[in-house]
Order: sequence, then structure tokens, then C-alpha cells
Amino acid sequence: MAESKSIISFLTVCCFILPTLLFAAIEEEPHKEEFNEELLLKPLPDRKVLAHFHFDSKAFSSSSNGGYHLHLFPKAIYQLVHKFHIKEMELSFTQGRWNYERWGGFDPVSSSNAKPPGVELWAVFDAPPSQVDALWKNLTHTLSGLFCASINFLESSTTYSAPDWGFRASSGNLRYGSLPREAVCTENLTPWLKLLPCRDKAGLAELMDRPSIYRGFYHSQRLHLVSSGFGSDRVDSKIELEQTLTVVLQPTTLRWAKSYTPGSGMQPNWSISTVFGRKINKKCVLAKSSNLYLQLDRGLVSELKNKGTDSDSATAESSITNPLFELSSTPQKVIREVDNLKDEESSILYMFDIDKFADAKPFDLAFSWKLPVVWTCSKAPLLANRFLMGSGNERGAIVISLKSVGHRPSLVGTGASEDRCKLHINVFQVVPWYVKVYYHTLRIYIDGQVQSAANVTRKMRVSPSEDKVSSGVLELALTLPCSMKSAALSLDFDKGFLHIDEYPPDANQGFDIPSALISFPDFHSSLNFAEDSSVSPILSRLQKRSPALAYTEVLLVPLTTPDFSMPYNVITITCTVFALYFGSLLNVLRRRADEEERLLEERGKYIITCLLSGITNM
Amino acid sequence: MPLKMTKLLPSFLIYSLVLISSYNHYNVNVVTAESTSSTSTTMHTNNWAVLVCTSRFWFNYRHMANTLSLYRTVKRLGIPDERIILMLADDMACNARNKYPGQVFNNENHRLNLYGDNVEVDYRGYEVTVENFMRVLTGRHENAVPRSKRLLSDEGSHILLYMTGHGGDEFLKFQDSEELQSHDLADAVKQMKEKRRFKELLIMVDTCQAATLFNQLQSPGVLAIGSSMKGENSYSHHLDSDVGVSVVDRFTYYTLAFFERLNMYDNASLISLFSSYNPNLLMSNAYYRTDLYKRKLDERGGVGRAGQDKD
Repeated sequence: MAESKSIISFLTVCCFILPTLLFAAIEEEPHKEEFNEELLLKPLPDRKVLAHFHFDSKAFSSSSNGGYHLHLFPKAIYQLVHKFHIKEMELSFTQGRWNYERWGGFDPVSSSNAKPPGVELWAVFDAPPSQVDALWKNLTHTLSGLFCASINFLESSTTYSAPDWGFRASSGNLRYGSLPREAVCTENLTPWLKLLPCRDKAGLAELMDRPSIYRGFYHSQRLHLVSSGFGSDRVDSKIELEQTLTVVLQPTTLRWAKSYTPGSGMQPNWSISTVFGRKINKKCVLAKSSNLYLQLDRGLVSELKNKGTDSDSATAESSITNPLFELSSTPQKVIREVDNLKDEESSILYMFDIDKFADAKPFDLAFSWKLPVVWTCSKAPLLANRFLMGSGNERGAIVISLKSVGHRPSLVGTGASEDRCKLHINVFQVVPWYVKVYYHTLRIYIDGQVQSAANVTRKMRVSPSEDKVSSGVLELALTLPCSMKSAALSLDFDKGFLHIDEYPPDANQGFDIPSALISFPDFHSSLNFAEDSSVSPILSRLQKRSPALAYTEVLLVPLTTPDFSMPYNVITITCTVFALYFGSLLNVLRRRADEEERLLEERGKYIITCLLSGITNM
Repeated sequence: MPLKMTKLLPSFLIYSLVLISSYNHYNVNVVTAESTSSTSTTMHTNNWAVLVCTSRFWFNYRHMANTLSLYRTVKRLGIPDERIILMLADDMACNARNKYPGQVFNNENHRLNLYGDNVEVDYRGYEVTVENFMRVLTGRHENAVPRSKRLLSDEGSHILLYMTGHGGDEFLKFQDSEELQSHDLADAVKQMKEKRRFKELLIMVDTCQAATLFNQLQSPGVLAIGSSMKGENSYSHHLDSDVGVSVVDRFTYYTLAFFERLNMYDNASLISLFSSYNPNLLMSNAYYRTDLYKRKLDERGGVGRAGQDKD
């Protein structure tokens, strides 16, 4: 009996004390891992809605906990960082092109989430320069397995490049590659969602109904990774993983379609359920914070003020009953941009905590307009476009055209008050080797006038392509006068020939030249808030100073494609010619005419022999 | 003197080469002898599936739908994603021509979205080449290739190899630019056998003149099913006027109809699958090559269950 009692008491100890000990052990390190989920919604001027999902995971590891006991942070990413000594990495899958003119080119979302079509990957390695290429190759293979994409095509030295300063400041350990034609679909999104602790089973990710997301006008799924302290023997290290999904969707409801009359300028009313087809059921319980933000653009806020009777109504808590629009729920907090030196309005963020709003029933935020409104998003100082010139299959030219948007002088970062105001831009362009660019033919036009390159170029780095070895890279820093209306850069090229088995199966479609990147180093798109940004990763992301960027279009170059049935035709014709030649030659050499005649005479059947000889002569 | 040396050297080389090769040959013989004796005794360990859609371009939508239907069936019947190698030569789900983005249907009733939320495509687009296909089968990859892209089967594995696309007499077209010949397939299978990568292999091919693709096979433990005989075409089942193209092929449609009736625990035999094909509905004669397969086709249960092992 005593024995059994002791066993029971031991079991109770096991049942009650051990778990509490375990919990205590977990609670000892409160900052070891952290996960936040957030969603930013923003009405766009062209009747569309921008939805920007932001998931943020952090892992802090110290030598004491061994670093391998991860609860929230995805293990696959942790191993990736360790194995390939990654300091910073970004991978994006994009479908569609960001419309810089309508959706804005000078705000934090566009400068970090407007990406070139297809796949773009860049990584900075914490390794000696001699090892970087090998690490990159292995990284591309691993990522291709992880995200179900052909990222492994970036392993070939013809597809990636090592930009020096044109893409971003680097110390020689940066590699950049892009695949403009890579398809982006659910098989890429699913593994990306599997990195989240709640996957798409709970929380904001539950909104990602595949058909409605892929029906959108723009879709960009991005993964950004920053790690510190892994290469060295430092005690503590940190990895920060930022996963964003940016979609531009058209809210369509039958009711709106009925009430909509073209030309009235009325914006469509929308709600979370009409945009995504789903509602927010509950927050992801593993998330530290789970928030929804609704952003009103600067342009929209100024419209709001113009229409409103009270100039400060937008800032008040009761702003949801303003004359312009109506929200279905009262926001928990209204965050206003501060410290905006420019003489324009500051944008407003309405915050909703999912935990409170999706408590009893699924949360659905509805946004309905009361009056027609027209506004514009803030644009980068120049709108960039790129196109091809020339015809034929021999040569052509690439032109990057930059058009001034008629920016306000206040936007100009440096020397705004001076007479000789300057605008600095960086151009980064990678061109595959079969498009042989002659860099000496670079011509820069400003307002239609050819400028000498020395006058406008601050810095230039060219690494010409090498056939079948490396692609050509152009990094260009230009100084343009603020007063200019338009500028254009042109480069001539010759089209090369590929080896017959290097042609893709759909070679007739043409070949892609990846997007060029135009960056404005003096224009930092950031929003400043009085709020403590450490609470919310999305707020701190919006506050981060990052230069405005613009990706140009992907170019489609038709190259000379061989007729793949041609070898067969050639072989057939050659064989026929040979057969005819040798056949008749043999006939002439081997035929013994008199012998045949004698034979025929012996038979004495003249008519038949005529026929026979006719047949043999054929 | 040096002249003589140079003359001597090649002959010596050739002699040594012959020696080495004969030595190798001997080794291989031993291996095959062992493997053939071992196949009958090794336990069935796991099931794998290699599903290949070899056709590019939108009008070949049905080939991708075929492959995805098989993928769904195979997953439903218990093979996990990590044991399925899915090769799709083009993107149909998010194709600009697809009216239903992110969705692929194999029936005009649109009841079943084959491209659900959890599809893992291992090789896609330009990666679907004859070279990669042979690499997957034979397991000869570069070191960097991740595990998810490899067929990591062993000598107790049962493998389903499903291929669909456009074929002809002893060939199958890949991406409209390359061809896989019956010799290539037979060589790859033979190499797999010698490397002990499978115990039993079921090859299912839905192309025109599919039966001709099996002509050169000679490895034991292989069972082949083709949708049509030599000189016959394999036809599509029906057209979906919303999608705008044919959505499924006849052979695959009736194969799926058979498997839809099964669940994971059914003891269906292979012979019941074969007898379910009706040449009038198929508009071609399904072909089975069974001479390399030692076990009886009407065996139920054990390791020969069609429901679980073959699919």
C-alpha cells in the first residue's frame, strides 16, 4: 500500500509540478521569439483597394538556449540563414505591374513592395568573397525546393550579377538575380504561409482566399530576412523575418454595380468580405499583436478637409461620421502623421485590434462613401518607362524615359532653395548576354536635347556581358536639373545567337530583359507618427526611411529563332541529291548496253524489250 | 624508342580498359543477380508517385488537369506530398487566359478545384525537360538539388509513374521541343532496377499510341498501362465552354472514375481497374503490359493492392 501511495504521489508531482516548471522555463525568456500579424488597407484613387499583409517573426538566440529550440520562428528559415551565412535576403514573387502613376510611387508601401514581375532574389552573405558564388548557387536550389519555383535557374552565372552600388550599398557580398517570366501561383503562396505559426488556419492569413487574391491587378509576395551576429562568435544573435503580401483588388459587389453610374465619380463601397470573400474570424493566438489598419492617403485627407465643414474633423475620434465616408466600426485609435514639414496634409491611420473586434463574431470592416471624391496618390519625382526601338532581327536600342510629374519644390530633398536645383537618380540595369549592349552608345537626352554624358553623370559602373558567361550590368548615377520636363537614356544593342539547345521551348515568344531599377536616393518615403512604433512592426516599417524606387517594364526582345525542323529538311534534301547523283552515276558506269541488246535480240520480242528498257532507265 | 612507347601505350590502355570494363560488367552482373533474387524477398516499404505533364501552352490545359487529378487521387489514397514528384510543364492555374485564377478543373461542372490550397509542384515550366525527368528517375542529381525534388525511393518501394502529353510511335513529346523515346524510358527503368530504386513500378501513360512507349521495357517488376494501341489516338473527354478548352482526357477520366469509388482501405485489384476500361467509351484500346510483372493481377490485399500501392 505504502508503495502504491508513493507512486501516486510521484505521479501527482509529475502531473502538476513538472508542467508548471516547464511553463516557468518558457516564461524565463520572454523575448526569445516574437510574431506579429498586421494588415493595412488603403482605398486607391482608381476604385481599387490595396491590401498589404505584414507578418513579422523575430528570433533571438543566445548560446545559453542553444538556439535550436524554436517555437514560432520557422525552422526552415533558421537553417537557411545558418547554412548559407545570410546577412540579408529578399525574395519576391510578383504578378502584374505596380501602377506608379495611379497607386503612388512615393510612399513606404510602394517603395518596398512594388516589385518587378516574376521572381526577384537578392542576398548579402556574411562570408569571404571567394565563397559567395558557391553559397548563392546552393541558396537558389534550396529556395526553389522550399517555394516550389524555378529559382534554381538563377544559379547560372549568366542570370545573376553582383551590383556594386546601383542596387543598394554593398560590400561585394551582394548577389542579385531576377526571373521575369516565372509564374506565380498558389503553390508559391502555400509554402510561404507554412512559415507562419498559424499558417492560414487562423488570424489575418485566413483572409487569403486564393481565387480572390489571384484575381487581383497586382500581387506581390515578399520575404525579407535580416540576421545579425551569426558569423561571429557573439553570444546573442537575432533573425528578423518579414513576410508581406501586397495585393491590389477590385471590390465588386452586385449592389455597387447596380448603383454605379459611370461618370458620377463615385468610389465603390467595400468591406473586407466583398474584397476577400471572407471575414476575420479570430486572431492568431500565437501573435503578440494582431492589428488592422486603414490608411487614408495625404491626397484623400486634403479632400476630406475641403469637403468637411470643420477642418479638424478628420482628426477627431468621431471622424468616422465625417461627410465623405463612413466606417462600420469605430476605430480603436486614430494615428496621424506628424512632423510633416511639407505643405500638404498628413495621412491618417485608423487602428483596429483584431482581438477586440473579432471577439464575439467575425469582424468585417465596411467602408462606404457618401460623396464622390477624386484624389491622387503621391508620386515619385519622375515616372520611369522603358521601351525598345528599332526593327528587324539584327539590332535595336533600349530607351529609358523619365517624365517629370511636375513635382512640388518642397519634395526636392537637397538644395530646394538654390537656383541650380539638382535631382539625383540611380539607374540599375541587368541585360542578358544575348542582347549585346554597346555601352559607349549611351546617349542622355534632357528635354529632347542631347547632353554630354560628363555633364549629367556623377558615377558610372559598367560590367559588359561575356558570351555565355555573364550578363551585362549598368549602374549609373545621374544628376538632372529639377526644371527639366523629361529625360531619356538610350543604349544600342545587337542581338546575339544562342546555341540550338539553349533556346527555350517557346522561343518564338521572345526573350525577356529584366526590369531596370530607378532609385531616388534623396527622396525618402517615410511617414512619421507620434505613436511608439515599437508596438507595431508595420508602423515602424512605415517610419523607416527608405529611398523611393521605381521598377520599369520588362522588355520582350524577339531574337532570331531557328526553324527547328530545318535540320530535318536539310538532311532530307541532301540525301535526295546524293541518291540521285550516285544512282545515275552507277547506272552510267555499270550498264553494258551492247550486252543487253544482244540478250534482247535473242529473245526477239522487240516491243516488250522497249518497255523493259524504259522501266530500267527510270 | 619513344616512338615505340607511344605505339605501345594505346594498346596497353585499351587492354586495361577492356579489363576494367569486363570487371565492371562482372560487378553489374552480380548486382543484378542479387537484386533479382532480392526483389521477391524484400518487404514493401513505401509508395512513391512521379506525375508528369509534358505539354506546354494553354490549349493543352487538359494534360495539366489530368496530372493534377491523379495528384489529388494519389494524395487522397495516402501518399504524402514529400513522396510525390509533380512535374508541370506550364502554368495553367494563374495563366492570363484562365477565367478562374488559381483554379484548375477537370470537369465542366466545376465542382472540384484541383488546384486547391495545398499543391506542391516540384518541377515546373522550363524545368520539365527530358534531362530532368531522367535525373529524377535515376537519382543522378547535382549535390545542391533539394530533397523535395528527388525520388528517394528504395528497393522496397512501389512507384507509380504517370505521364501525359502528346506522343507517337515510341516517343513522348516534352514541351513541344524534345522527345522521350521508348529506349530512354527503358534504359532509365533498367538503371533504376540496378540501383535498387524500386520493387514494383506501375507506368501509366495517357498519350496517343501510348502502348508503343513500353516496347523496349525489360526490367522485372514493371507493369505498364497505356491509353491506346499503336496507330490509335487517345481522345479528350469533353470541352468546357467556360474555360474554352478540353479539360480532361478519356483514359484519365475513366481511370479517375474507378479510383473515385475507392477509399484508402479498399482492396481493389489491378484486374478490376483493367476491366473497368471500356474501349467504346475510351475510343481506343487500353493496353497492359504484364509479362514483366511476376505477381498475379487479381491479387487482393497484401502488398499488391491497387488502391494503395499502385496509386
